[in-house]
Amino acid sequence: MADALTRSMRASHVLVAILVVASLIFAAVGVAKGDTFYLRLGTEALIFAGLALSVDILLGYTGLLSLGQALYFGLGAYVSALVLMVTPSFWAAMGGAFAAAVVVGVVGGVIANRVRGVYFALITFGMAQVAAKVVYNMRSLGASDGLIGVPIINVNFGFAAISSASPAGFFLFTLAFIIILYALAAYLLDTPFGRLLIALKANERRVPFLGYDTVTPRLMAYVIAAVIAALSGALYPMLRGFVSPELLFFSTSGNAVITVVTGGVGTLIGALYGGILLTLLKSVIGSYTEHHLVVIGLLFMGAVIFLPRGLMGIVRPAIERLLARRTKS
Amino acid sequence: MTAPVLEVRGLSVSFGGLRAVDNVSFAVARNRVTTVIGPNGAGKSTLFNLISGAVRPVAGQVLIDGTEHTGQAPNRLQAAGLARSFQITNLFFELSVAENLRLAAQILEPMRMALRPVAASRAAQERVDELLRRFDLDAKRAMPVSKLSHGEQRRLEVAVALAGKPKILLLDEPTQGMSHGDTADTAHLIKSLASDVTVLLIEHDIGLVMSLSDTVIVMHQGRKLAEGTPDAVRGNADVQSAYFGHA
Repeated sequence: MADALTRSMRASHVLVAILVVASLIFAAVGVAKGDTFYLRLGTEALIFAGLALSVDILLGYTGLLSLGQALYFGLGAYVSALVLMVTPSFWAAMGGAFAAAVVVGVVGGVIANRVRGVYFALITFGMAQVAAKVVYNMRSLGASDGLIGVPIINVNFGFAAISSASPAGFFLFTLAFIIILYALAAYLLDTPFGRLLIALKANERRVPFLGYDTVTPRLMAYVIAAVIAALSGALYPMLRGFVSPELLFFSTSGNAVITVVTGGVGTLIGALYGGILLTLLKSVIGSYTEHHLVVIGLLFMGAVIFLPRGLMGIVRPAIERLLARRTKS
Repeated sequence: MTAPVLEVRGLSVSFGGLRAVDNVSFAVARNRVTTVIGPNGAGKSTLFNLISGAVRPVAGQVLIDGTEHTGQAPNRLQAAGLARSFQITNLFFELSVAENLRLAAQILEPMRMALRPVAASRAAQERVDELLRRFDLDAKRAMPVSKLSHGEQRRLEVAVALAGKPKILLLDEPTQGMSHGDTADTAHLIKSLASDVTVLLIEHDIGLVMSLSDTVIVMHQGRKLAEGTPDAVRGNADVQSAYFGHA
């Protein structure tokens, strides 16, 4: 018999399935109409959803508010761009982003996890700001211009290859990639290790008395989130052909937190829906006014006040009840 | 002679200028109920904090089965077989009753299960079912802890401490705030625990202390005032003056 937490996760899976179907329809319509703009925008939305996913692992499951997740997103993007400019291999870029995220994630995690709560948020914020300033002022990384001229690549699977220049192809590839990241996170959170993270969020001080060390799991969660953010970021230069220091700025970290809170903290799936919603809103509102951040800010405030559990906080319990009823009958 | 399961030697700690626990020594016999009593502020809870690793002592030793474990982190002490409950209910309030127990019981699983789905953790699940029955919480298993009554929360507090199959169980006022009927049930439960676990208890209900304990330790102003069988302690003149003042 599945317990409540497993059932919640299954409800998220149902919502992922709905998202995948909707995305496939979106891609089919896009191809039929010969669209490029919306398919590329959709791809970007999925990439930022991957960043939001990493924030939710920390905020929604481990109880850690990171205000500097852009550090790892930008790290993945820059490493990916640098690797691709040397050798246009998807796997080399991903390998590089992964390795960099593990190394920097362990160092950053050891530093940030020395403190809790507000201080953790401030340290993660500070680390990302330092990294952003360094990149911004570093000639060899293109300084404020970033790195431009990242080549178009073919994601090679041996039996088939997808060009990063194909709007529909790369959209579907990114969709599959982000869903795999989601599936990995969802699997991990439904293991005893993942439940320990949930326990840390619920009442960290009791955890040592159950016999568990708290430092290692918290650090592991931080590194896993860093890797997910970096792998998502590594897709960015493949899509856009450039990276810029903005990817490391607080606006990127802050948007990811807004995405998770709007979508539903501690649901995983909320990060994906939230990421798509926010990117779409930014684009639509941005076409009417350049002050789109004001509107996003107001929407965020509205979401916090009227939907404290986010969009998925409303939708998911209904699906949980459906699932519960089906297993009973 | 085998070493006592738990032994405390000269344990001391100060907070500011206050000697909260002052040179306390005692040994606890295996599979017995030993109760620490004393007026408010006598240092009972601080003594528990020192033994369970929540607070590091400035002097003294804590020995489990003759091996020193002084000042170790709570998770190391749990591995050595010592678990505790808290005077102020300290659980995972937003999680279900069963999940609280499962979290505490998953320590029984080998490390390789840590990255397999929780549904595969059979040993932990069996332990949860056993404890739900034993503590009469089966009907509430899916309920969030925050929705339980106070008495049920107090019961779960003990069950969670017991879930990892400790050798030594420290219970800090398990009946705190309970109704009279619940207190009697809990006393019965604690008595039944002592068949396979050593219980060190803090308790205020004197009737319960006298009926439950094999040994009573009396603390007063951070010091151990007396130790003995319930009857011996009851007759002790020092104890009477500590509780009732000088005649």
